[in-house]
Amino acid sequence: MTQTVEVLSQWVPIALSNMIESGTSAGVVAKGAEIVVWRDSSGVAHAWEDRCPHRGMKMSFGFVRGDHITCLYHGWEYDQSGTCQYIPAHPEVEVPKSICVARYGVAEAGGLIWAQLPLGSSESSFAGLPAMEGVKSVYIDASDATVLAVLRKQGCADGDVANVVILERDGATMTIGIQPISSAQCALHITVPEGCAGDVRESILDWSEELRRSIEELEVVT
Amino acid sequence: MILHNYDLFENCYRVRLVASCAEVALELINVDAFPGTEEKSPEYLKLNPMGRLPILEDNALVLRNLSAVLIYVAEQDIDKRFIPDEAKDRARMMDWLGFACDDLAVAVQARAVALLDAAGDVAELRAQARALFRILDDHLTRQSLRGENFVAGDVPSLADLALFPAFALSRDFNLDHDEFPALRLWARRIRLLPGFITMPGIPDYH
Repeated sequence: MTQTVEVLSQWVPIALSNMIESGTSAGVVAKGAEIVVWRDSSGVAHAWEDRCPHRGMKMSFGFVRGDHITCLYHGWEYDQSGTCQYIPAHPEVEVPKSICVARYGVAEAGGLIWAQLPLGSSESSFAGLPAMEGVKSVYIDASDATVLAVLRKQGCADGDVANVVILERDGATMTIGIQPISSAQCALHITVPEGCAGDVRESILDWSEELRRSIEELEVVT
Repeated sequence: MILHNYDLFENCYRVRLVASCAEVALELINVDAFPGTEEKSPEYLKLNPMGRLPILEDNALVLRNLSAVLIYVAEQDIDKRFIPDEAKDRARMMDWLGFACDDLAVAVQARAVALLDAAGDVAELRAQARALFRILDDHLTRQSLRGENFVAGDVPSLADLALFPAFALSRDFNLDHDEFPALRLWARRIRLLPGFITMPGIPDYH
């Protein structure tokens, strides 16, 4: 049997929706890809390659102003389509339309912001998920496979879409988005149903910190 | 009140930030700390035998300990905004002020090694700073769950102002903000405080 190697298009959760406020940006890494996730002033989330076409500066070091994101380095300003609109050093110049930041497919569902990997893939739109609320993003120094194995031991089940697991705990049904970062790191974006009680959320925080600690201890030993 | 200051030292910025937010006038005397090491000159060693900045002078009073300096400046605030009155609230604030001034000294040192030729193992210091940022991120996540937006309550305190510079400057020693979502949201709230000022290395977005 011959196997063809192809990079499958997939949706990866990159942040909790409630952690990216309007008018802010953040850098994230998903499967080695550096992504800037930002939300414009009208509340729409964007996921782009984290690199200004001018000098390669991370766009996530920059800032959001209205519906534009601006590079910190020389102030080049990009609109929601990724097209450069303004170059402060040459305010009189009409910017060539070819100066663009590459964009990822982006979706927001289940309390999570999702990016479609790899860059340039065009799978159909993202499947709907029930409304959820973000509790915490936990960054763990271990591969997603290692973390997933631990979660399975705790009884988690696969979710309806890829990169999501469901875990019942302390009377709450958590839906956890798994963001593979590198072979040595991943993030868990933990969500609960709307209206989940405060003490349940607190116990989830306790659980998540203990999970991170125990997995990282394991990683040091092995 | 005189602050013996070096613009690029994080600990001097902490004092300027608190003074600005508390609307306390400081007279700055700029010291040639890098590369001149003027704070270690005989004249300065008389003011602070430890050979460090910041130093705060208020007539005969000379303060060299960072938290002592910050508390003294914040206490001059006519509106008393940043030091809670009630003993338990004040103790909570002091608890995190200690974290900022004592524990987070490793972040100050990491940056000094990366930028200012100080001695130390930057990778080890960065790892220690990262562990502390995690503790703070975990704490701020709990705080917001309890309806409190700042480290020691629902209003900004001296501890918040003292903590902000270490996070805002961490890219200077290659510790990025990706992993600390709650810290990012909190840092944005600090930026919006009346009187907020930046320093080189902390971009001014406005």
